[in-house]
Amino acid sequence: MKNVEVYISLFFILFGGVIFKMASGLQYYGEYGPGPGLLPVWTSGIMIVLSAINLVAAFKKSNTQFSDLLPTGTSLANVLSCVGSFAFYIIAVPYAGFVTTSTIMLFILFSRGYSWKTSMMFSAIVTGIVFFVFSFVLGIPLPVNEFGW
Amino acid sequence: MEALGYLLQGLDTAVSGWNLLYALIGVTFGMLVGVLPGLGPTAGTALLLPLTFGMSPVAAVIMLAGIYYGAMYGGTITSVLINTPGESASLITCLDGYPMARQGRAGTALGVAAIGSFIGGMFALGLLIFVGPLVAQQALKLGPPEYFALVVVGLSLLVGLMGKSLVRGLIGALFGLTLAFIGIDSVTGTMRFTFGQTDLEDGLEFVSLAMGLFGLSEIFMTAEENLHAQATKPPKIQNMLPRRDEWGPALKSILRGSALGSLIGLVPGTNSVIPTILSYSIEKKVAKDPSRFGKGAIEGVAGPETANNAYAGAALIPLFTLGIPSSPSVAILLGAFIMHGLTPGPTLMQKNPEFVWGVIASMFIGNLILLVMNLPLANVWAQITRIPFRILLPNILIIMAVGSYSINNRLFDVGMMLAFGILGYFMKKVQFPLGPVLLTYVLGKILETSLMKSLTIFNGSFMGFFQRPISATLLVIAISIIAVSLYFGAKDKGIEGDSEM
Repeated sequence: MKNVEVYISLFFILFGGVIFKMASGLQYYGEYGPGPGLLPVWTSGIMIVLSAINLVAAFKKSNTQFSDLLPTGTSLANVLSCVGSFAFYIIAVPYAGFVTTSTIMLFILFSRGYSWKTSMMFSAIVTGIVFFVFSFVLGIPLPVNEFGW
Repeated sequence: MEALGYLLQGLDTAVSGWNLLYALIGVTFGMLVGVLPGLGPTAGTALLLPLTFGMSPVAAVIMLAGIYYGAMYGGTITSVLINTPGESASLITCLDGYPMARQGRAGTALGVAAIGSFIGGMFALGLLIFVGPLVAQQALKLGPPEYFALVVVGLSLLVGLMGKSLVRGLIGALFGLTLAFIGIDSVTGTMRFTFGQTDLEDGLEFVSLAMGLFGLSEIFMTAEENLHAQATKPPKIQNMLPRRDEWGPALKSILRGSALGSLIGLVPGTNSVIPTILSYSIEKKVAKDPSRFGKGAIEGVAGPETANNAYAGAALIPLFTLGIPSSPSVAILLGAFIMHGLTPGPTLMQKNPEFVWGVIASMFIGNLILLVMNLPLANVWAQITRIPFRILLPNILIIMAVGSYSINNRLFDVGMMLAFGILGYFMKKVQFPLGPVLLTYVLGKILETSLMKSLTIFNGSFMGFFQRPISATLLVIAISIIAVSLYFGAKDKGIEGDSEM
């Protein structure tokens, strides 16, 4: 099965199902009026129905394939470098601090379009500027290591 | 006359202290967002949202609003010069703007667009000044049932305009609404859908959601399509003003565009692409020689460009008076209101007149700044279009990472932004509308609270909504919109929503 629309519909059916189950455990209507479960029950219920309609329609006429959805070659590498460097930032920054992590993240991104020397230079400069502007000019705290950078 | 008095006070606020500088920063960044690839007005506004955290509410909204309407001006430059719209509202400008540039008349196209944008923006602001207070006054009389019905109408219009994507639009709207349920229920105080995560107790962070769905996803899309694209050298811009014989038709188009854009802006749930398409088709219909369109007709630039700026101004009327955003960009402004402790809705004008009129007055100044930026400085902006995306991308990503962290000082929000970025990327790839997700997320709390209060008033009977004339009328309108959209959707005659919507 390579039809993307089918998986999208299944995702929303599953999502709606989880919410519906959780919402069913909440109070629907109480002594003083509607409870916290009322709107989520209806919302998730309707979402399941609509997603099921979308699923049926997907079998009938949708022709969006995974091959149309996922990039290949350089395009895929570009997207993966964005996602990967961002994920790396989230994982590494509590340990390595902002300056180190940001420099590595930026290096990964700049190196998609420039030589490693230029990328290194750009990464260091941008990190320095961002660190200075956010920490000292705007006074916005950054995720730093135990040394404060 | 009372409104003019307030406006003068607002002018005092707008030019005092740092507010003037923030307006300048806002419109300049808006122009950049419009000119540069990879960021739309929604993403651009979301990007600067965290930076406003330490500002006063009026300064923050002055800057963010500047980005919103500034981007409408900026998008035109790339449409005319390199046939690539900087944002969706400028798409239609390519049709006649680019042919004009190829005839050596890029300056005239940009000049008439700037003049039209300025007049359209001013027209809409005039409407905001005179109609806004009246709407707010009437809105004060609305109770929870009417408010609930009004939000439903807005959402049904938004979803209804999805045309062929109606079912997807509805699923998106329900998805956004569900995300709004996460955290503590504001009516009963019950914890919902947090999956035991303490970081979710206050709900999903709006900035992470908006930046992820609109900003990060857009970055991924652009990285995929043209990270290595070579910048096109723009043509030299000269002779910014139309010829003497062109002034008459151009001004008439500008006036029609102003009226059309302002009217559509008043309707919650619409988007800035609609007035431009309608304006273009009207101009073509009223033209003596419609065959000129598509080959460099000045009215084809003047009308739509005026309409999208008039729309941008008028779309703030439902926001200021009812607290209902009409598009994802305006939803982010609404998020900024909430973030800065303001309660959007009819009481905003009464309780925070300094804020409202300060922002309105700043928009007059902002539009003037933009006129200057677009007429004498058009060549400078044309050169900016040559900045390669491979330089911009890393800078934008690091600012996003820092910005989303700075709201609550937690990496959880950065992670959520990445997750929504990936989700938004795939949703865009399959043309799943994102606008309804963000709008229902923003309106979710208002919708649920007004529904709860209404049902309490009606002792749990939903039919109570149909026993009050205003709420009944509004709900019938909402049902009709959905029914008509379903009918046309089934016949495959719907209007395709724009990519951001």
